Amino acid sequence: MGASAEILFGGLFQGSLYAMMAVGLALVWTTIGVFNFSHGVFMMLGAYLAWQFVDIGLPLPVVLPLAVVAMAAIGWLLQASVVRPLIGRPNIVLVVVITTLAAASLIENGVLELWGPRSKQIPPLLEGNTTIGGVGVSMHQIAIIVITPVILAALWLFLNRTRLGLALRAVAQNEDASLLVGLNVTALYGLAFAIAAALAALAGIFLGGYRFMSPVMGADPLLKALIVVVFGGISSISGPIFAAYLIGFFEAASNYYFGLYWTPALLFAVLILTLMVRPEGMFARSSRSLA
Amino acid sequence: MSALLEVSDLTAGYGQVTVLHRLSMAAGEFGNVGLFGPNGHGKTTLLRAISGLLRPNSGTIRFDGEPITGLSPRAIVARGLIHVPQGNRLFPDLTIADCLALGAYSAHARPHEEANREKVLSIFPKLRERWRQRVRTLSGGERQMVSIGTALMSHPRLLILDEPTLGLAPKIKDELCAAVLAISKGGVPLIVVEQDVEFLLELSQHLYLVNHGEVATEIRPGQTMDHAEIMSMYFGH
Repeated sequence: MGASAEILFGGLFQGSLYAMMAVGLALVWTTIGVFNFSHGVFMMLGAYLAWQFVDIGLPLPVVLPLAVVAMAAIGWLLQASVVRPLIGRPNIVLVVVITTLAAASLIENGVLELWGPRSKQIPPLLEGNTTIGGVGVSMHQIAIIVITPVILAALWLFLNRTRLGLALRAVAQNEDASLLVGLNVTALYGLAFAIAAALAALAGIFLGGYRFMSPVMGADPLLKALIVVVFGGISSISGPIFAAYLIGFFEAASNYYFGLYWTPALLFAVLILTLMVRPEGMFARSSRSLA
Repeated sequence: MSALLEVSDLTAGYGQVTVLHRLSMAAGEFGNVGLFGPNGHGKTTLLRAISGLLRPNSGTIRFDGEPITGLSPRAIVARGLIHVPQGNRLFPDLTIADCLALGAYSAHARPHEEANREKVLSIFPKLRERWRQRVRTLSGGERQMVSIGTALMSHPRLLILDEPTLGLAPKIKDELCAAVLAISKGGVPLIVVEQDVEFLLELSQHLYLVNHGEVATEIRPGQTMDHAEIMSMYFGH
């Protein structure tokens, strides 16, 4: 009982965080066709902004939307400065890997300068602990497990049930045709980055209420999100979500049975196997689109 | 009466390669305009420059008397100048319903969305049967119908069609030609690029032969031109 409850719970919790991160990566890839290596830094910066807002005395219900909106704006700005000027270049994929890595490095060191190396923590969403199926869990983790699917469902509804979401999906599929129906393609690119950054910030705030924060706290979740999108396929929004939870459960099971040290190696074994068997991902079509 | 669209001394190209050399033309003056000429001589480049996908090097494009040279495609769509590009792969993972909704995205087209949808479905009744089907699952002819239908949703004042019947089976092609004629009769002036000279002669009153990025010959309404003469212009003497 203890084992399965622990794996189930750990998987749901990790899966939630990975899904929030991976969906943002997939959104940017499908709409703009670039890979955003500053995604992990978005997560970290969101957590630090939230910490700063809490530090000046704002209550958590105010801090949460404030930090998320601020990160959306930062995501938009980053897109405008290091991605948009490169759009149309034939080698854009590679160049954007470098510019977003450079931006990530700058932001990481900027945060280190500004807030220092000492570990910080954000107050949890909900105080207290409880016991489910013989496993002790914090209310904070339960809140994350409940909130994440709601946010992902809202994102899915936005993409599939609104006019703006339809426009985002269209840009992902054919840029010229999108221009010819009068879509504002650059604004939609900005929007994709803003949504991705907001989701990453939320993941950062969730993580910062559970573990200690540091300027490099986004690196590991970014790596995991990368594994998730490669495993699940990046061509849709639902692929990475399923994959995130699967990887979450896999990690929890591996942690339980093989220990913390073996887990990354096993994860990469899964990744390599996926690339050998189904290079487009487990839940993917071969084209780039959001559906 | 002045022309709805006036292109004068347009020079445009890609990088170092200039495709159009001081090309001038007009459309929407008397009926439909047909563009013809060998492949790779600038017809598509001209259309891309008109719809704002390609920024011209020099020259002016005026629509309804106002200069639109160098405007964004969005601003040009908002004026009702709508371009259906060649061999449209459209939005493979959107449904027909989605594509048509997208066609009415521009603010000027939104009030007419309902009426335009009825119009599109009366011209292309097949689309109603496949309403919730993704574009990637449609045949080439059906995809072309969705492309033109999407453009009609944008409430065009002038509609540009780049080789609407390219690569289609004869039966589908006839169906599509009839639809294009119906659109024209409905009061939307057209600019059509087409390799099928018979269809082009039937459809258009005003023809331009584009060769080496220039207008080699203009055939104005009233001037007659038979198939043989056009063929000889096409292939040289």
